[in-house]
Amino acid sequence: MIAQLVELAGRRADGGADALWRRFERTAIAFEWGRLKSAGTTEEAGANVRVRYRGRVGVAGTTATDAALELVDRARASAELGEELDLVFPAQVPLAPLTTFFDRAANASLDDLIGIGRSLLTRLERDGCRVNIAIERETTATSVANSAGAAGQYRSTGFGVSADVWRIAGDDVLVVSDAYEGADLPSDEALTALVASINARLDHALRVVAPPEGALPVVFTPAGLSALMLPVTQALSGKAVLQGISPLGAKVGQEVFDQRFSLSDDPLRVGRTSSRPIDDECVPSRVTCLVERGVVQRFIYDLETAARAKTESTGSGQRGIFGKPVPAYTNIVLNHVGAQHAAPLHLGGGLLGDIRDGLLVDELIGVGQGNVTGGAFSHPVALAYRIEGGEIAGRVKDAAVAGNAYELWKRVGGFGNDARWTGSRWAPSVLFEGVSVARR
Amino acid sequence: MIDRLTAALARSRADYTEIRVERTWSTAVTFRGRRLESATASEDQGGFVRALHAGGGWGVASFTSLDRLEAMVARADELSRAVPLDPAIRLADVPPHRADARLDLDGDVRGVPIAEKKRLLEAYNGAMLGVSDRIVDTLAVYRDEVSEYWYVNSQGTILHVLRPDVTLSGTAVARRDGTIEKGLESIGMRRGWNSVQDKAAGFRAVAERAVQLLDAPMVKGGTYPVILDPELAGVFIHEAFGHLSEADFVYENPQAREMMTLGRRFGKPVLNVGDNGAAPGLRGTLPFDDEGTPTRDTALITEGILVGRLHSRETAAALGERPTGNARAISFRHPPIVRMTNTYIAADPRGGSFEDLIRDVKLGVYACGAFGGQTMLENFSFTAAYGRMIRDGQVAELVKDVVLAGSLFQTLDRIDHIAADFRWNQMGGGCGKAGQFPLPVTEGAPHVRIEEALVGGDVGAP
Repeated sequence: MIAQLVELAGRRADGGADALWRRFERTAIAFEWGRLKSAGTTEEAGANVRVRYRGRVGVAGTTATDAALELVDRARASAELGEELDLVFPAQVPLAPLTTFFDRAANASLDDLIGIGRSLLTRLERDGCRVNIAIERETTATSVANSAGAAGQYRSTGFGVSADVWRIAGDDVLVVSDAYEGADLPSDEALTALVASINARLDHALRVVAPPEGALPVVFTPAGLSALMLPVTQALSGKAVLQGISPLGAKVGQEVFDQRFSLSDDPLRVGRTSSRPIDDECVPSRVTCLVERGVVQRFIYDLETAARAKTESTGSGQRGIFGKPVPAYTNIVLNHVGAQHAAPLHLGGGLLGDIRDGLLVDELIGVGQGNVTGGAFSHPVALAYRIEGGEIAGRVKDAAVAGNAYELWKRVGGFGNDARWTGSRWAPSVLFEGVSVARR
Repeated sequence: MIDRLTAALARSRADYTEIRVERTWSTAVTFRGRRLESATASEDQGGFVRALHAGGGWGVASFTSLDRLEAMVARADELSRAVPLDPAIRLADVPPHRADARLDLDGDVRGVPIAEKKRLLEAYNGAMLGVSDRIVDTLAVYRDEVSEYWYVNSQGTILHVLRPDVTLSGTAVARRDGTIEKGLESIGMRRGWNSVQDKAAGFRAVAERAVQLLDAPMVKGGTYPVILDPELAGVFIHEAFGHLSEADFVYENPQAREMMTLGRRFGKPVLNVGDNGAAPGLRGTLPFDDEGTPTRDTALITEGILVGRLHSRETAAALGERPTGNARAISFRHPPIVRMTNTYIAADPRGGSFEDLIRDVKLGVYACGAFGGQTMLENFSFTAAYGRMIRDGQVAELVKDVVLAGSLFQTLDRIDHIAADFRWNQMGGGCGKAGQFPLPVTEGAPHVRIEEALVGGDVGAP
């Protein structure tokens, strides 16, 4: 399919073409409020083609995969409206070997999925609570190719387990959730960790205490860290730099973050669902170091943003069936100096001991709203705990935290020993001093 | 197509089977600043089968290749048999319907060249850029689609509907030194090309406001009487209350059901709330939902008392209530789940005008438009697009960073005055739930006064 599509597009467009073809099948089950309610299957295939025609670039996508000629003509019509762009399709380069397909995940049966669900349910059910669990496995075949002769194809697997426990008491609604996401079947340890994570946070949440107030030490869990990571990852995208809205746009080579803070995008991590040997524009995958010991190193680019910025793609092109490729992260990895792992893991990653009065934040409301790139944030808490005398005192409601991500990242109070994957981000808990905490 | 679908149904071994097939043609044009970012046309097609075997859970299958239709019908039945369920799923009765409904395409977008769509958007984008050289960036998006839709179920319902949708959005970014402000315009219609003409004024207005906000002070955090404009009041009732009225939240959760007991007082007698999937000409409007149930107007709160909720056939049967036509799916990729359509706070015919709402307000905040909002069940946080102080019964200075946060139950109960000036907000975007986004919905409300609400421009600095 892909070879013919590129060949056809190459003939009908004078400036070359590239294409992506993807097919996946997925099996999913859902336990709703403690009962196995549904089982489903999905089969989907589609193609996305991009052409350069008379110096202009256009794209088109379809799930009607038998209509190649029509697809190419739509891409050409799209190009006729587009701006001129000196887009160069890359030549073939050897790919790094990377395992993306795991037989155990690919061959997991419906009964295997149900078995995992029932075992989790048994371990999560408790009086006064209701449990939702969703489990899915999928296999994907991806092919990319371009008219410069580059091509790549790979098969991959994905496995996801998510659970949330609901407790409604009067008008108090408490939801505690966690998820496993990986390319392989979860190990028993991974499932045990998921249960322990939910139960620990639920146990501490049963007691509601008054929130503290003032400029306080606040520990953000790996999940709670989103509000502080989002401005940074947005600012490190070449697209934001091109638009002139990135506060880091002119800071390459400068120390902007705490010296213990390093950040990279790693598409070659074995076992992650975002990992792949080649990006969706035929650029081989490689690790991109974004921040090294506090110093900004580089930004992520796809082919188009790289062409506009007169630089090279970092292999960060991501495209769906519809729409054009965009620069996107794969696995964001926060590395910090002195990384140590403690087992068993404790909520707070060992950072709570010296806190006389403070907050542990696991989830905030409204992350991503407002002017994220500027770094300022202000969010009510969805799930947070008061820390008193080095211990978790109980859950706080009606509190809000605020600050500026860039100011806070300049001086980190400490990194936890509990680094883990949250979706496609690897990070530990992080302690910041002097975060504004307000009562509502 | 109908013959093919009914033939596939006839071969199903399940006790209940339904099939949806959709074919969607869409175009999208995006400008960023003066630059055309993309202009694309897409075609999407696929099907969805859902089967129920007595004593089993739902078996579902979705697919993009129609050649797989018969295999997928068989697979859905197998999946239902594979998940035994006791007590079994029951579906509330809905009489079979046959309909061939062609919604008003109002200028079929499929007949308009994409170059013309680009020109239209370029003009609206230009209207924002032309306001001032303080407008440093814009984002303008035009999107349209026509979806041909077939639905059949084993109880005799056969539907064929042509569904249009067209949306426009504009973001204007104003900047002076380190200060950045934005304005948002959003238009959405379940109509066609004719309905998005002559809209430049709205785009210009949001760009002008973004420039004005550069000089506006941040609202001083605190507790105020707050008047919501119809747009923000609509977003508020959808986000903060509407989702709790979706019966899939309560039907198998006794604690949730207790919280949402019909007859519970939620507000003062002035408060009336409903959801109307049959209101003519709105984005949330369709003749039938995705289970073949006719849509209708459902009262949720009447004179402050919780009186109803939104149902699928399954939740209605479980709670012994009537299906309301609220089972919706964003596409063939997803099962129908309980969703809102056009959700509204009803006007108080004796409520008078906006001026009547602010007449006796000594110091208050008039919160307008919505940049965003999120609810975590009983807690919500909304960011207004802008605000104006109210001083001694008069609208006063422009203020920015108006964030409303609070508890749903307390806030609904503090709504003490609702005006008579109801309007639907015909906006783009859509609602998200359970991975299904964006679902076209509409919200409507008059001006609404909350006697006391927490406004945080800067909730941080204590």
